[in-house]
Amino acid sequence: MNDRQPGSAVPAVNMDALAERLDHSIESLEQSRPFARAGKLPRVFDIARRILQQPGGCEIVEARAQRLEQAGVFVGTDWADPAILLPSLTTFSLQSQSADTVVVEAISELRLLAVARGTYFHPSVSAEQAHHYLTQVLAINLGLLFGMTGEAEREQGKLALIGQAVVQYVAQQIGYEHVIESLIEEIWRILQQRPIQVADVRRMITQIAMCRADPNADLGGAGGGADRLISSLYGPTRACSEDPGVVVYEQRLASMDAQALQNEATGFARSMHDTGLVSPYHAAFVRFILEDRDTLLSEALGLSSTGRDCLLCYRELVHALITDGIFPETAQGLYGLALMLERGILYQPPVAPALWRQVRLPLCAEARERLQLAYGYQPQPGAWLLQGVLNMLGQPLGVGQGNNPTCQSARALSMWAYNDPDYLLQMVAWAARDNEIMMHFEGQPVSSLSSLGGVASEVTLDLDPVSLIVVPHLDRIYAEMGRLCAGREGDPHRWVNPEFHGWSAGRGFAINVDVATGKLDDLPGFVRHFYASYHPYYNGNQPLIHPQPAGIAVTDSAARFIGWHAITILRVALDPENAMRVYFFNPNNDSGQNWGDGVRVSTAGHGERFGESSLPFEQFTSRLYIFHFDPLERGEPADVSEEELARVLDGVHRTWGADRLPSDGLQAEPSPQG
Amino acid sequence: MSEQKYDPSKGYVALLGWSLNAVEAADKFDRRYVVVAPDWAEAYCKEHDIPYVPWNFERLNDRSFEIAQTLKDMGVNVAIPLFEETVEWAGAINSVLMDKPRLFGQAMLLRDKALMKRRAQLGGIRVGIFEEAHDKDDVIRFLKRVNQTLLKLDGDPNDPIHLKAFDKAGCLGHRVIRTPDEVDTIPDEEFPVLMESHLDGWEFAVEAWIHNGKIRFLNISEYVTLGYSVFVPATPDLEKYRPQITAEIEKLIKTFDIDFGFVHPEYFVTSDGTMYFGEVAYRPPGFKVFELLERAYGFNAYQGLILAFDPKTTDEEIEAFFPEEVVGAKGYAGCFGVYPRLRVVSRLEVPEETENHEYFESHELTPPLEATVTKRTAFGTHWGLVYFFGDDPYRMRDLLKHQEDLDFYV
Repeated sequence: MNDRQPGSAVPAVNMDALAERLDHSIESLEQSRPFARAGKLPRVFDIARRILQQPGGCEIVEARAQRLEQAGVFVGTDWADPAILLPSLTTFSLQSQSADTVVVEAISELRLLAVARGTYFHPSVSAEQAHHYLTQVLAINLGLLFGMTGEAEREQGKLALIGQAVVQYVAQQIGYEHVIESLIEEIWRILQQRPIQVADVRRMITQIAMCRADPNADLGGAGGGADRLISSLYGPTRACSEDPGVVVYEQRLASMDAQALQNEATGFARSMHDTGLVSPYHAAFVRFILEDRDTLLSEALGLSSTGRDCLLCYRELVHALITDGIFPETAQGLYGLALMLERGILYQPPVAPALWRQVRLPLCAEARERLQLAYGYQPQPGAWLLQGVLNMLGQPLGVGQGNNPTCQSARALSMWAYNDPDYLLQMVAWAARDNEIMMHFEGQPVSSLSSLGGVASEVTLDLDPVSLIVVPHLDRIYAEMGRLCAGREGDPHRWVNPEFHGWSAGRGFAINVDVATGKLDDLPGFVRHFYASYHPYYNGNQPLIHPQPAGIAVTDSAARFIGWHAITILRVALDPENAMRVYFFNPNNDSGQNWGDGVRVSTAGHGERFGESSLPFEQFTSRLYIFHFDPLERGEPADVSEEELARVLDGVHRTWGADRLPSDGLQAEPSPQG
Repeated sequence: MSEQKYDPSKGYVALLGWSLNAVEAADKFDRRYVVVAPDWAEAYCKEHDIPYVPWNFERLNDRSFEIAQTLKDMGVNVAIPLFEETVEWAGAINSVLMDKPRLFGQAMLLRDKALMKRRAQLGGIRVGIFEEAHDKDDVIRFLKRVNQTLLKLDGDPNDPIHLKAFDKAGCLGHRVIRTPDEVDTIPDEEFPVLMESHLDGWEFAVEAWIHNGKIRFLNISEYVTLGYSVFVPATPDLEKYRPQITAEIEKLIKTFDIDFGFVHPEYFVTSDGTMYFGEVAYRPPGFKVFELLERAYGFNAYQGLILAFDPKTTDEEIEAFFPEEVVGAKGYAGCFGVYPRLRVVSRLEVPEETENHEYFESHELTPPLEATVTKRTAFGTHWGLVYFFGDDPYRMRDLLKHQEDLDFYV
């Protein structure tokens, strides 16, 4: 049955013959009629796959990358326009179980390598862009690069070889140092936004740490810049710098003198405020000093005079919060605690008592179950929720929606934490203890229990503890309020937003899209009105008082419309370069986004506070489609200069508004695009 | 987008049925063409600007004349059947286009396996024992009689008989019956069927392009195992019968009165060199033999088809088109139809020894949609083809045979 000779392994692959077959298949693709091209692709992909699975295969495919692209392997896919490719998606395609997906991605990477090396002059992407893209791809696929394979690769079988081979080949060609450096940069960029959920960041840092510790991974001297990140998790102070484990560290603490403890406290605080990450050792340390050296607490939290003052006033409460909420597993809560004390919100009369309620809050079975599913059984669910509350109150702009279409709920949580903390605590208590939240819509009670269903069919578990418990309720209420608006003319956000977010959301409502037709509706009037309400030069220099919900037409890096998105406008002010900017909160997990047509949302470097996003006023206005205002304060439409107005309108027409021009609008205001 | 530049002095052909490879071949050729296909093909044809006439081939009815008239009004010279189901349509349409009523009768003859055999027998072509069966009792009676004829005693293992649907292509509905018990496994809705005695011979197929009553190109396709694998050109062992095979095809052309077009018959050759006729089809073969021919010889078999059907084709033109048989081939091209061998499969994994074999070209296998493999009752449909190309016909034959022992789905 088996005609193979014992000892002679699989017949050696003749790479020249395979390369010739690849050429043959490319040729038949080149000669095919466009309508029959799809039929020739499987053969090209299959032969390319076999070549890529062999040592030296990447070179063969790279040499033919230009021919492959010009023969049409990418036609009709996103890969056809390399300028819009997202490096973060390569992880999924390279680890896909579909051979064709892996192969197309691999060919695309090798094509960009040829572009980066200058051997392929590409019409739509430059060598620098290609180089930049590839470094990001490498950074995101570090696991493949260093052969750390997981479940995804096991499921892939032999296909996993391709992802690894391509990533390793690209790294060899453009140099390992770029990879680690850009990964570190990426981590810092995310940390600058001070998200509450840092699980992903922790995973990336852990991966770098593992690469550095692995004698087989050749980092080529790169990665020195990761020290601070790694130490912030695994050894922020002298006594734990070699990551001895919490038990050993606790023993060391017991024998330390006052000066050593003092040094530990400052070391922890510095590391925490530097990165926004908290080491489990920090939690162990704080619990240790709480017993009889709590004078060190202020130091260990790195508090300023405001925070220290607050700590002294509410010492017992803080002790209770730490005792019940801060464990090595929930160490991240310390950062929330420190920032909450700094915000001084404990001085608002209802907040401290509400936190006492939170400490002792009995959880309903549903809430316990969700917390245990997401975070495990240690420590108990109440501690996780307490950590979540501390983080949300300390970092109201660090809320993220996870992988859920629930931007409105995430925005509401952030807005309350920022603006109305005791209301947030009330919501948490209702959801966690009673498994029901009750709100009112125009006087009519709306219960999260009796609502039919939310916007999201299922709320995932990749959320902070507060969102995990509260968002499913809020989402159902939000959807129910929407249903109560059914039959009304116009956009339901007009009524839902103020009722859902609270009295401080303006009752006045402006929208520039006609709901029935989807076409733009009086765009110039909308823009002038927005300037009059929000722009300090046009509204009598009045800073924004309460954060206001607003709606954004989100576009991708190629400026194509993706969808409607809820954000909060926080303030409008001059940046350090004296340009007027809108500072806003985006419930997306990573706010540093490229919206195309030159609009790049900034998260740092333009006067942003942690968690804020910002755009120049004009650029922001060009993506805005809904805002709220106080109808009693409505002034005259701002006398915006024609040039400035035209720039905003053009920004709309070039991007998300391109196919929304009202039919008569063309005659009234001919677009410069013709 | 069709970029075709056709020669107005040549014929205008209609392709009956949807085959992308045929359409592409036509589009790259110099004959004007139109695709006649069911309306699900309309969107695709419109999108790509492919000349198209919608038609539903499911049954012949009183509107059948309509399509013939439509094509005639368009100036079409001939209709070419691409599938078994369109053979009688081509006959009906061509009888109108060419004003030759006998073409329809000829097509009906070529569509019914029992009628076909009778006609062959009348023409002096050797066929095996055959009979129509209307129910299971007929099958049992035939099985007994065949084995009595062979002087088998009770208890001797029976020689099998073959059951085939009258009007289906290739192996569809083909069953092998050895014992009366197996008769019970045949579902009633498969009747009536054609029954044939088993011929212990070497089965092979022929593809012949005919123009002006003459064979213009004759290919012999060697089956390694029926329903599994085929390659072209055949080994010298089979090619040595070429003169006899050519004579048989000429007899077939005469018997069925075929003047133009293409035939795809199957024969058995027994150990003493006697040829038995199996069946004949008036359309391109399955198992991608046209694609194999293109790989081996370099000519496009569909374009050959168009030449053979087009009444305006000249002798010089068609002689120049086809290469010399066997010696004109650059190598041997074969393919293997994969059936999963395990009852439960989770993924497609081409065996390493196949994938790394120097003859291996490519495959059209898709990942399994269901984990449980339906039990094969008849010669079912394979899950996809694996293609090979190489320079030694015997290595090709053994390689194809060996694939039967390998698991492609695990």
